[in-house]
Amino acid sequence: MLGEFEYVLITTAAGLGEKAYGVAIRDEIEASIQRKCSMGALYTTIDRLEAKGLLKTWVGEATPQRGGRGKRMVRVTPHGVHAAKQFYDSVLRISRGASWVENRMGGTS
Amino acid sequence: MNASAWPWLELSTKLLAPEEREVVLGDLLETHATAWRGLLDIFSLVLHRQAGLWRDPRPWVAALFVALPSSSLLMTASFSVTCTYQRLVHHRVFIGHWPTGHEGFPLLLCHILLLIAWSWTAGYMIGSVSRRTLWASVVLVAASCLHSLCMSASWLCLFLFLPPMMLGIWRGWQGSRISFRAAAVLALIVTVLMISAWTNDALWMANWLLLCPAWYLVVGARRSRPNGGAGFSPLRHARAQ
Repeated sequence: MLGEFEYVLITTAAGLGEKAYGVAIRDEIEASIQRKCSMGALYTTIDRLEAKGLLKTWVGEATPQRGGRGKRMVRVTPHGVHAAKQFYDSVLRISRGASWVENRMGGTS
Repeated sequence: MNASAWPWLELSTKLLAPEEREVVLGDLLETHATAWRGLLDIFSLVLHRQAGLWRDPRPWVAALFVALPSSSLLMTASFSVTCTYQRLVHHRVFIGHWPTGHEGFPLLLCHILLLIAWSWTAGYMIGSVSRRTLWASVVLVAASCLHSLCMSASWLCLFLFLPPMMLGIWRGWQGSRISFRAAAVLALIVTVLMISAWTNDALWMANWLLLCPAWYLVVGARRSRPNGGAGFSPLRHARAQ
């Protein structure tokens, strides 16, 4: 089972598709969860997910705006997609009937 | 970003693995991070990396079970050799003939050879067991030496074992290969010398712990032999794990 931040990272990377790399993922996460994301948390989580086979990373093209340095590109593997879907389904299941969920099934209000 | 801060950021990325350094510096340039934010980012990554490394038992083994006890034992052995030398050469008298009042020149030579071998093999083990947390092992060795200096040991005692130990650490950290035959010969010589010193009542029981690093080299070299036959390389050993 994924952790919360692992799910956020996989979902963000999947959403960015071919443009998923360190800085882009971090900007997207900070914009969507409205919280600072440290480089340490980002890269160690990427490493952990890669070790689990949920992500694949490689050093991509070097660009002038990066001083000729490469990007760490990220791609979600089919295992990663499966794990993220499992996490999402679990959250949906456990949230069913919770008071803060709109259109909850079997709700009285 | 302030241009004067850039060299400091580059310097701090030396704490990261080489392949990660370039990516992180590229990220900082692309995001136009302030020097402060850049430093925070780098140190957060270093801290996360170190925290991850310490979840493995190897850094603990290298620091607490190899570096700390071996440096204390080597310091004591070094002190013993210094006292024996001063007694034999300068005819100094030590109260109660402590620590090795009965030794002659052959046993002194045996002790010096053992000290060099113990120091080098212990250093090699410290350097090779956990390379990325070597700083912690080195800090413990330094702390042990400083503690002994405070207990009035002379600098000469330190210099007897520190150079071979540092050389061993350097070789282990670099991942230098040791052939099985060389490791086995070294371990056998150390064992024979220790038995010889032991039978002449010139060795403490605790000194036997210093034999472990020599046999660690033999076991390591034997394990890596079928994979290439070139000998024991800690780098390859670490990657395999």
